[in-house]
Amino acid sequence: MRSVVLLLRLAWRNVRRRPGQAVLLLVTLTIATGTFGVATSVYGSADEPWDRVWRATDGFHVGLTAYHPPDEPGDAELVADLRRRATALAASAPGVAAVGGPWTHLYGSVDIAGAPEDLTAEVRDSPRSAVDQPLVTDGRWLGAGGGVVLESGLASTLDLGAGDTITVQGRSFPVRGVAMTVSRGRFPLSRPAQVWVTAETAQAMRALGMTEEGFELQIRLDDPADAAAFVEDHRAAVSVDASSPVIAYLETWQQRRADSHSDIDIVAATLFAAGLLLALLTVATAAVLVAGRMAAQVHQIGTLKAVGVTPRQVVSVLLIEHLAIAALASAAGLGLGRVLAPRLAGVSLTVLGNPELPPLTWGRVATVCAVASATVVLGTVRPALRGTRHSTLRSLAAGPRPPRRPGPSSRLVAAPGLPLAGALGLRSARRRPARLLTSAAGLTLGVAMTVVAVALHASLDLLEVTPAEPGHAASATATDALYAQVRSIVVATAVLLLVLATVNAVVVAAFAARDTARNHAVLRAVGATPRQTTTALIVSQLGASAIAVALGIPLGFGLWGLMEGGDLPAVTPPAPALVALGAAVPIVFAAIVAVPARLMARRPVAPVLAHE
Amino acid sequence: MTAVVEARGLVRRYQGDGEVVRAVDGVDLAVEPGETVSVMGPSGCGKSTLLHLLGGLERPDAGELRLGGRRVDGLSETQWAVFRRQGVGFVFQAFHLVDELTAVENVELPALLVGSSRHDARRRASGLLDRLGVGARAGHLPDRLSGGERQRVAVARALINEPLVVLADEPTGNLDSRATGDILRLFADLRAAGQTLLIVTHDPRVASMADRLLTMRDGVIDGGTRLDGGAFASPLADLGDLADRGGA
Repeated sequence: MRSVVLLLRLAWRNVRRRPGQAVLLLVTLTIATGTFGVATSVYGSADEPWDRVWRATDGFHVGLTAYHPPDEPGDAELVADLRRRATALAASAPGVAAVGGPWTHLYGSVDIAGAPEDLTAEVRDSPRSAVDQPLVTDGRWLGAGGGVVLESGLASTLDLGAGDTITVQGRSFPVRGVAMTVSRGRFPLSRPAQVWVTAETAQAMRALGMTEEGFELQIRLDDPADAAAFVEDHRAAVSVDASSPVIAYLETWQQRRADSHSDIDIVAATLFAAGLLLALLTVATAAVLVAGRMAAQVHQIGTLKAVGVTPRQVVSVLLIEHLAIAALASAAGLGLGRVLAPRLAGVSLTVLGNPELPPLTWGRVATVCAVASATVVLGTVRPALRGTRHSTLRSLAAGPRPPRRPGPSSRLVAAPGLPLAGALGLRSARRRPARLLTSAAGLTLGVAMTVVAVALHASLDLLEVTPAEPGHAASATATDALYAQVRSIVVATAVLLLVLATVNAVVVAAFAARDTARNHAVLRAVGATPRQTTTALIVSQLGASAIAVALGIPLGFGLWGLMEGGDLPAVTPPAPALVALGAAVPIVFAAIVAVPARLMARRPVAPVLAHE
Repeated sequence: MTAVVEARGLVRRYQGDGEVVRAVDGVDLAVEPGETVSVMGPSGCGKSTLLHLLGGLERPDAGELRLGGRRVDGLSETQWAVFRRQGVGFVFQAFHLVDELTAVENVELPALLVGSSRHDARRRASGLLDRLGVGARAGHLPDRLSGGERQRVAVARALINEPLVVLADEPTGNLDSRATGDILRLFADLRAAGQTLLIVTHDPRVASMADRLLTMRDGVIDGGTRLDGGAFASPLADLGDLADRGGA
């Protein structure tokens, strides 16, 4: 117990002695945990609103939809046959508690901002259905006098409510009300737009040229959990020939629920991916800090070991310190998630009502804490163990461990054509390859994400200049908005990664400056100018940016390859942007590393040499 | 004859705990070409600081400094670095070799800095190491060399550009008696060859080989003794046998 208290005290002392390093790790880690916190809070925030509407509308357990695409010739006979089969199935299948429909769907167009948009009018002939009775949020349900009830997403898009009129097939119809349903996604991300009409209104719409495209039938079961089994058992009963233009499918309520908020899922998935990359970079940050700490504290470690502290206890001190920071970062990240998630989810077009953050379960807390803890453990243990492996005597003799063999770069100083400062820098880089690679790893992630951001940017530009298909204008606009949100997250992640990688690089350079201070003082004593020692230090670090460009660009292509496809137009990241990136990274990196290098070069030589 | 080193009223102050410490307090000094001067004094008397001032590793707060007749106390950091390449050779107690460079690379470094061709620099560095008896260790990193070998490499590095003056700060401070004997012989050779030397030391054997011995106390030179230049005939050390082996 006494030794635990001692370790805690040592860890606390370390934090107090190096508040800058602790803050850097805390900030880096909080960015990663915050991203995860937002992702875990956004993900699932549409579930409870969906469930509420599902319950209020007696939502379906199994739905059958049959239709033929508007541009395909209809097969009325087949649709009629399907309707008979579906009705018979619903009437006779065991476990069916209630049936809604079948309801006829008419296809036509609605005028949105002067442009036609595809429209389905669902014909309801009874005042209240036992299944999927839409939840009226404004006005009233269908009744005498005709008119239409708008699906809530369509009403929001048109900014219409009860008492307004809507133009369908070029003719105005009175809006009786606005309602929600779970039987289809919200317009405009789900299309076509939907209205509910009475049989009389449907007749009028047929007269205006709307055609019958199919029907929908909704079933409630005795046990909602049997939905998947019901679909499996009866799929064949409603199947159609593969060559038929008619499309028919059975769908469970769980499938519909999972598909109902695609935009939130896309945003959450993007945030998860960003959080993962940021966590990886934080591993690099932790490793850099610990490795630098171990190099700086080698004398202290030797002293601790000399008085009986074991290497394991030395590592424990660092782990306690970093795990405490991880705990703080987890709490901060989860808090950030609760604060920021509603704003992100609030712009969703698919949520039925207002998004509700899922409860902060132990599972979600554990996820974020696990990411933070794994990050610091990965970044801490290996360099800490390496640092404690020096013999006690060696540790007591402070100073970085000198090389034992000249190594493969031993001819560099005399290599013709290579400036002396550059050659010295390369020799210095060879001395700390792990630190160089750690720095390179962080930069590589930043470069890769920048390539993804560039590609995404080009792809979305292409998407935006491509005219929407006739009848899809509103949904195309909504999709653009969603992608813009994704683009913002990707760009923000790339920027964050680059900033954090840069901070890493500065820390690495500062440690390198400290490690090489003696050598550079010696060089200056024998006639090297401050500019030459600055150049040597920059060159010693520049390899990280070269590696980052060499690996980061192909990695970015790989990541983009995973992302593109689907609705995103395939593009190759523009060559000029890649060339600019390849040139800018080393230049900016060199400019940043020059800061600690210049500071080191300003230090007077004598005190540095006097330390030995 | 122009003095190689000429200092007038050299002052270097440090901010101590609430008071200003005058590490070097108005030192006047002239070292003639080919002369070997030793500086002795108790720890903290300012002798190392004086050496650093003379080599431009620290900047004086007051006073004038000329090396080879050139006024150097106002040089910038870069100008000092360039001047040191051919003007000053340093030998330190802790050797201060660059860890990543082999012995021969350490030696050739100042030559490369003044623009010698790589071939010429390597040839001269190898020749010097041979002459100093460490030619066989030329390809080794400092960590693989003994203290005496490192110091001989450091001396070779100080000499490669044939500087106006070699400034040695406790050159035998980290060496055992055998290695100290080697370095003494080496300095005797340099003195005999006409190399101007200024040596700060605690070791009376080293001090006794000089033409002149200065003593420092509290930042000032408080005494000077002209020696006969025969280090090993000096009453300060019983090193007659070494004199026989180490004479020029």
